[in-house]
Amino acid sequence: MSNKRRSRLELVYDILLSIQNKGGKIKPTHLMYKSNLSHKLLNSYLDELLGKELVRVEDIENRKKKTMSKVIHLTDKGSGFLAEYRRMREFTDAFGL
Amino acid sequence: MYQLFFTPNWFNGLDIFFEGISLIVALLIAAYSLRIYRFTKENRFAYFMVAFLMVAFGLASKMFTSSVLYYHPLREVTAGVLSPIVGPGLEFADLFYRAGFFVEMFLMLAAWLLIFFISQKSRDRLRKYHEVSQMALFIYLIFLISFVANFQYVVFYLTSAVILGLTVLNYYKNYLNTDKNENAFRVMLSFIFILLSNVFFVFVYFYNQFYVLAEIFMLIGFLTLLGTYSKIKRRF
Repeated sequence: MSNKRRSRLELVYDILLSIQNKGGKIKPTHLMYKSNLSHKLLNSYLDELLGKELVRVEDIENRKKKTMSKVIHLTDKGSGFLAEYRRMREFTDAFGL
Repeated sequence: MYQLFFTPNWFNGLDIFFEGISLIVALLIAAYSLRIYRFTKENRFAYFMVAFLMVAFGLASKMFTSSVLYYHPLREVTAGVLSPIVGPGLEFADLFYRAGFFVEMFLMLAAWLLIFFISQKSRDRLRKYHEVSQMALFIYLIFLISFVANFQYVVFYLTSAVILGLTVLNYYKNYLNTDKNENAFRVMLSFIFILLSNVFFVFVYFYNQFYVLAEIFMLIGFLTLLGTYSKIKRRF
């Protein structure tokens, strides 16, 4: 990963990409490590992504431990965002912007 | 009647068609730049959109002025519309053509210069005030060149060729910096074609068939840009 400070849009892209790379669903702790973000920052971004329907959260019951855990899913809109972002990045690279 | 330079008669109309295609390509790129600007809110995309809009309007101005020159009915209509301003005998008809070509030259030069600046600068530099003031100076020079070029058209195409040459160099650097990205190569290639087109335009004065070559190279340049654009849009 580059040392350069990531823009807000790049962070959103990294979060969504991390979910996509794990087959479209990921646990919040894994996502925190994969996207290289603090717990607080990740939660603030997740709230935004949920609001924009780019991801959805599913509560899963662990029957053995009798606890509830969360799984974050990438929505179709989220996949669309990733594709559009890649196209924009390709355009930016091609024209040296 | 005032003409910027004499073009082969058999090609009259075809050049307008070629420029129409280039205009559509320029508008497509401007529209996509606007889309990215709305998405990212980064100024460089807004500048890029403005540059391609200027290319489109510059081409539109040339198309309109050439149409009035080539087609008699359109000339009659334009004469009718302009007669209250320029007088019944159209004594100042030259002024109309000069204004048309001036708008084309000014917009095209400004567009090429802006594209050169964008391809040259790091992403944040154009936001700074001194960069903008520097651009204001260049706009003044472009204004001056466009005016002089109305009397000596070679000045316009020579200046365009120099700016485009420097832009090609920037795009070559970009091609190397992006690990020889295929689309970056295509963009560089398209600007090479547009540069060649401007070089041929310079020599129309000596041999007017060069006008055909220049227009063809311009079309190939914009079609290469269209190919790159559609390849990017189809990906992912």
